[in-house]
Amino acid sequence: MMEKMMLLAVGIPFIFGVGALMLPKYAREAATMLATVLNLVLCVRMYDQEAMLSLPWGGYGMLFELRQYHFSSFILAAAAGFGFLISLYSLYFMRNRDKGNQFYAYLLLSLGMVNGAVLANNLVLMLFFWEGLLGTIFGFIAIGHREAFRSAVKAFILIGVSDVLMMAGIGMTGLLAGTLTMSAIHLPLTSAASCAAFLLLAVGATSKAGSLPFHSWIPDAATDAPLPFMALMPAALEKLLGIYFLARITLDLYALQKGSAMSVILMTLGVVTILVAVMMALVQKDFKRLLSYHAISQVGYMILGIGTAVPVGIVGGIFHMINHAMYKSCLFLTGGSVESQTGSTDLAKLGGIGRRMPITFICFIVAAAAISGVPPFNGFFSKELVYDGALECHWLFYAGALLGSFLTAASFLKLGHAAFLGRNDALSTRVKEAPLGMLVPMVVIAGGCVLFGVANQLPIDNLIVPIIGAQRAAGHHFSGAPENIFLVIMTVTVLLAAYVNHMYGVGRTGNGVGAVDHIHYAPVFHPIYECAEKRLFDPYDIGMTLVQGIARLAWRIDRANDWLYNVAAVKTALYLSCSVRRLHNGSYAVYIVWTVVGAVFLCIYMNA
Amino acid sequence: MTSLLLILPLAGFILANLPAGRAFRRMCIVLPLVLSAVQVLLTLFPKASWWTAGNAAGLSLGFLRIDGISMLMLLAIGLVVFASSLISTATVRDERKNRSFVNLVLLSLLGMNGVVMVTDIFTLYVFLEIVSVCSFVLIALQREQAMFEGAFKYVVLSAVATMLMLTSIGILFLCAGGTSFTDLSSMIARNHADYTVVFAILMFIVGLFIKGGIIPFHGWLPDAYSSAAAPVSILLAGIVTKVSGVYTLIRLVVEVFGATPKTSQVLLFMGALSIVAGALAALGQKDFKRMLAYSSISQVGYIILSLGAGGALGIAGAVFHLFNHTIFKTQLFINAAAVEAQTGSRDLDAMGGLASRMPVTGATSVVALLSAAGIPPLAGFWSKLVIVVALWKAGHPVYLAVAVLASLLTLAYFLVLQRKVFFGTVAPGCDSVKEAGWRITGPSVAFSLIIIAVGVAVPFLLDTILLPIGRML
Repeated sequence: MMEKMMLLAVGIPFIFGVGALMLPKYAREAATMLATVLNLVLCVRMYDQEAMLSLPWGGYGMLFELRQYHFSSFILAAAAGFGFLISLYSLYFMRNRDKGNQFYAYLLLSLGMVNGAVLANNLVLMLFFWEGLLGTIFGFIAIGHREAFRSAVKAFILIGVSDVLMMAGIGMTGLLAGTLTMSAIHLPLTSAASCAAFLLLAVGATSKAGSLPFHSWIPDAATDAPLPFMALMPAALEKLLGIYFLARITLDLYALQKGSAMSVILMTLGVVTILVAVMMALVQKDFKRLLSYHAISQVGYMILGIGTAVPVGIVGGIFHMINHAMYKSCLFLTGGSVESQTGSTDLAKLGGIGRRMPITFICFIVAAAAISGVPPFNGFFSKELVYDGALECHWLFYAGALLGSFLTAASFLKLGHAAFLGRNDALSTRVKEAPLGMLVPMVVIAGGCVLFGVANQLPIDNLIVPIIGAQRAAGHHFSGAPENIFLVIMTVTVLLAAYVNHMYGVGRTGNGVGAVDHIHYAPVFHPIYECAEKRLFDPYDIGMTLVQGIARLAWRIDRANDWLYNVAAVKTALYLSCSVRRLHNGSYAVYIVWTVVGAVFLCIYMNA
Repeated sequence: MTSLLLILPLAGFILANLPAGRAFRRMCIVLPLVLSAVQVLLTLFPKASWWTAGNAAGLSLGFLRIDGISMLMLLAIGLVVFASSLISTATVRDERKNRSFVNLVLLSLLGMNGVVMVTDIFTLYVFLEIVSVCSFVLIALQREQAMFEGAFKYVVLSAVATMLMLTSIGILFLCAGGTSFTDLSSMIARNHADYTVVFAILMFIVGLFIKGGIIPFHGWLPDAYSSAAAPVSILLAGIVTKVSGVYTLIRLVVEVFGATPKTSQVLLFMGALSIVAGALAALGQKDFKRMLAYSSISQVGYIILSLGAGGALGIAGAVFHLFNHTIFKTQLFINAAAVEAQTGSRDLDAMGGLASRMPVTGATSVVALLSAAGIPPLAGFWSKLVIVVALWKAGHPVYLAVAVLASLLTLAYFLVLQRKVFFGTVAPGCDSVKEAGWRITGPSVAFSLIIIAVGVAVPFLLDTILLPIGRML
């Protein structure tokens, strides 16, 4: 029964996805809703049950293995929930846009891929589904508008590169372990080879979640792709999948130890991701772009939490993952309703719509408070757990994360102020609240943010602690109010500082958009930002410049080669041919002389 | 009954010259056709009891002997003589010349059959001279200025060869006291360091180089091949020089002279020189048959190179390439004859697009040139492969590189040929050209089929025929 359900969880989205591609309008929307509802029901029914399935597939240990257990069923249910809510939202958002059939097909196919990747118990099978997402992401972005194709290619290349690294990691892991079945692998991180394999896998997993250095497609996609894609993939499903796999790597496939080099590398990656991305987010002037940088930045907390390799950090990282999926998709959805109601996401053009769109505004406030770590929303609790873990390792990591928190709060104060408050007579007279179908997902998710905050023992004790296992969790207490009062005081101080900073900025420039201009144009930061705006730090552009150099070199080599074969060789042959022909002047006397000379030379040689 | 292969052509020659009526004489045209066809049929069954019948009764001549390579050469001789005779009926219209041709071809057949079967060096020389003298006359058959020139050069250089070979035979006879292969080989094995003997051997080899057209002893060859009438150049290029020069060289070097390191080096060097210089010269030619003539020099170079590599594989490669070359070069000369007969020209620059007007000729020539350039799976590829492997095994990487790279040159000049004659747009003046008659296209198609069949059946042939030949010699 469970085996069949697992196959259905992969199969239903696939079949309906292909169907949505061919069905006419309305029918495909109905099919999408049906598929996501079915998927949700299925995943909820499967919740917290265990099952294994193994079918012959590729040979050489590549089996079609699915495994359903606590962690994967948790991710499945979450993904199914987001899939349902966002397809509901898309019904309204995509109503008047073309290429709807492709959009719904990609949505369902992505769901199927995520289900497959989460359920897969074989590294190669997981890679199969994982790579499938590469295709659907490309399609999602490419249908945005006419110029979206460049962003789609960028996403494709960046994700492709990280996936190739992960593929190498999978190969090495399989070789080291002697099997590709994930539940049978548990390697120590002692040898150089295993460390390399671990790092490669971690690069794949964190890149999927959107961390540095393979992140730079996300802000571009935010401006180009249809908005529900942003709420679905980078905000929710990719985080779920990437962090799920990162947790699997650190907990199951490899034994990450606290204080080990790998742990330090992961934590450093986390902090750098937090700070770099949030600094970029701070100065964005576009609703969706700002959010997309936060989607990168928040991954840093998850990586930091899991990278600590201490129970409280891991719990915090995973809890932050589910929290982030909620508040970030909620934020993207509010951005989408602002876009669909006002026609713009440019912060300079927005403002004053808070009163006209009260429900959207409230949802935004809840989600923004959650992402900034304001108590008692869910983000506060997960961040406290991560801080706790980071502080247990080294105060530097904690300080970095705390600085990130300050900047996050500052940027969301700026965003909320610029988008919803202030005065904008043009908008505040004609804008209406978003339709019900768009509000329901927002409200549901915002409600979730409150619920997971106020009643945080519900998700932590039921969902997350079983993941790390009772043995590891023994003697700790994760849920409820944070135990470390120092952390709380620091967090509140930082939030207050962010508010003071915001008021200072608004006082200087007089509007919400310029609230952080004093940081943007600060002496040291300004030139750095200038370079960043010119994409000098974008790994994609750096890579492309390098590739172009190599391509030019290769082209020159090719030309030289061509010249060698097509010009030099031919000319030499023709010249020699001409010379040989000129020697044959038709005189038999000359020919006899050749004969005699040849014979004499042979004679000399033979008798020498 | 092997002596019948000599007696029957002789009888045919006598029959053709009986003072009988015109109708009878006209019938004699079929004599070379019948004899060569019979020869082909017989050699297709080398295990038949016919070959040994009469030996016990003392009916066979003592100096004749048949082995695998002789059998293969007899087959090739039969095929080429048949094709040449058939084409002569289509191209040589004059009745007197036709009779001369029949006579000379019958004598050539006799001579070549003798060359491949004898076991005595002087008898060998006699048969060589029969073939050569027939060739002189055949080249000048149509009595045109160019033909006389070609024939004259051949006569002069052949005379040099004759002189060298006769001197050599004299010395060897003096040293060994006999002229049979067995006498000579045992004598040479004893005196392989003797200057006189080495000199004699070298004289003979140089004579054969002249006959086979190895650079720089090839001066007569391009003129003779290109000036002769179509059936004559088919005969000459296809088989006469191959039997009298190349086959004899293989036979003597392996069986009589023995492959000393120095001989091997001479053969390798001359082979490589011929390959490269021949191919380069071919590349610049403007005349259809001249280009084929230089290509012949180049391909013979491969055979000599393989012989120089030595070993069973090298000899098998030489014999195999000799056979393949006979087939594809005959085929190409047939195509040249077809083109010349239909357009009246051999100038490559004046032709173009003939494939659309002469589809059979165009298609068969593609098969032949691909085989010559060594493109799999055609016959020429396999023989070149055997040669390359033999060179590798014998440890001559430089010559190996020459052999492989010269293949590119081969492909280059044949593609030039094909493009200028058969591909592209139809040249002005070639609009009304038609396909040649069946007597020309028939052999052409047959030879193409042989090329393909040999190429496809090579795994079978290699094990059953070629490698045993290599080991036997």
